[in-house]
Amino acid sequence: MTMNLRNLFRSATALIALAGLLVFASAPVLAADAGHDAHAADPAHGSAPAAHGHGDAHGQADSHASSPTLLQSLGYSYLTAFLFCLSFALGGIIFLIIHHLFDAGWSVPVIRLAEHLACLIRPLTVALIPLLLLQDTIWPWLSVDPASDHSLDVKKVLLNRFVFNGLLIFVFLVWNHIAFSFRKYSLAQDKDGAAIWTQKARFLAGWGIFFYGPSLTLVIILLMMSLQWQFFSTIYGVYYFAGSLWLTLATLYGLSRYLSTRELKPVVFPRQVHDLATWFFAFTVFYAYIAFSQYFLIWNAAIPEETFWYVDREKGSWWEVGLLLLFGHFFIPFLALLRIDTKMSLLVMGPMIFWAWLMHYTDMTFNVMPVLWKNGLHVTFFDPLCWLGLSAILAKCFWSDYLKYPKWAQRHPRLQEAVTHHEIPATPTAAD
Amino acid sequence: MSATQTRPVGLLAQYETPADLLHAALEVRDAGYRQWDVYSPFPIHGMDAAMGLKNSKVGYFTFAGGITGFFSGMLMIWFMNKFDYPIVVGGKPLFTPLFAFPVSYELTILLGAFGTLFGMAFLNRLPKLYNPLFNVERFRRVTDDKFFVYIEAIDPKYSAESTRSLLEKTGATAIEVVED
Repeated sequence: MTMNLRNLFRSATALIALAGLLVFASAPVLAADAGHDAHAADPAHGSAPAAHGHGDAHGQADSHASSPTLLQSLGYSYLTAFLFCLSFALGGIIFLIIHHLFDAGWSVPVIRLAEHLACLIRPLTVALIPLLLLQDTIWPWLSVDPASDHSLDVKKVLLNRFVFNGLLIFVFLVWNHIAFSFRKYSLAQDKDGAAIWTQKARFLAGWGIFFYGPSLTLVIILLMMSLQWQFFSTIYGVYYFAGSLWLTLATLYGLSRYLSTRELKPVVFPRQVHDLATWFFAFTVFYAYIAFSQYFLIWNAAIPEETFWYVDREKGSWWEVGLLLLFGHFFIPFLALLRIDTKMSLLVMGPMIFWAWLMHYTDMTFNVMPVLWKNGLHVTFFDPLCWLGLSAILAKCFWSDYLKYPKWAQRHPRLQEAVTHHEIPATPTAAD
Repeated sequence: MSATQTRPVGLLAQYETPADLLHAALEVRDAGYRQWDVYSPFPIHGMDAAMGLKNSKVGYFTFAGGITGFFSGMLMIWFMNKFDYPIVVGGKPLFTPLFAFPVSYELTILLGAFGTLFGMAFLNRLPKLYNPLFNVERFRRVTDDKFFVYIEAIDPKYSAESTRSLLEKTGATAIEVVED
């Protein structure tokens, strides 16, 4: 049964990856045709003048108010899918950093899974290349002269081509270093059981947390927030981080629950699975807290440089998408997981994992797509293709790593503690 | 009858280690006792399961408190800002859940905490100023280095002989009749 599933999974992955490659190979052709096709395909055509209450937004209006070309459509779909997938790797990295910083015991049986998730940063670094190639198509400010645009002028220290490319490449390389060092130490410990590997990982986590926070914020400002470069929100990076770890915890829950009846049976118990669900629940609240804070402060202050971002997201069906996030990303998971027992119920948690994937993707869409489709949600065939294609490639990478290496941290000093912590000892120790 | 006359209300057994206590709890649970408890200087992981305790009902009190707090916050802001003394602040609507949310959220937490605390006290029948266990001299070391199981005489399965032999079998280092 399992083998059949795996084979099916492999074939599906290969097919989707192939389709994704074909689309990329055909991108130049699509771009050439764009002039003809885009007008017919876009219902929003001609109806979206720049309606911002802010003069600086005209640069953006010039480049994107008319119907998007197919290449733009592809670029934005790809960016949305990329940001969704990046969440797995960044969630995995912060999971490991937190694990090592707190010298945690309970999470030892699942850190190998988190290490594989973190190491997805390598295929994601490759996946960054198309974004860099398409940068002029995706980020409108790259073709705006700072001298003609006040808000770009004051942000040109960060928002210029050199920093954009240099910072992205530098940060992705350091993230690669962090993720692969964690796994390297862990695999080395599998062989000799030496405590030095845990100490090295702890040192890495020590400086890693200081690098992780600012670098994530900078990358998200560049990749996501600078799509509307007039916007200000200092909490924006935290917003993405909260959604990312939320998604990763749901995924780790699914993986460890599925594998706890299979290869991970000796080490993963309901305790670890339940703790992951509790953490997922906590991040449901944390995400809502951050999302509400951002909205509430901007709403309360009512400064045009900030409110235009939400005004854009209340036009047309984007209003309903926002409501979907409010209820689907917060209220439904929050109320469903409030009880202790639902965190172990397959009936609740099974659909919840897929729901979390869908909601995080919707969240990314809500942040990215209104720049392109001003009048409301607009799904093109690029969206599912990029989303499923990139996810399938990552799933393939994860699965081959999982099969290649030992299934859990074999000789971690706290493994015994993690396995026996909440379990009742079979025989009492003699009075000692 | 003299006021100082006492009657037995249960059996107290002393253990030397948390592991012994956990093991004893398993035995007492499996013997089918209902009116009993364990005492330890610190929490012991796995004791809930060993005693056969179900999840605490205190969550319902927390939930009720939280819901009350949330809606009373909303109602309070609506009453004060829109109904009783309408006043425009910063060009904002007279009422919207948006600005009422932080206050409602704080009240959710406050009344949720009250629900937890008072619900816990109610379920545990606290405050309780007297307990017959205070009459037992050796029980004082429960705050230091000894571990105890106490089975009450009102338990249907209780009998002076069989309960004592059960406790002896679990490796108790001392067994004492508690009197009230």
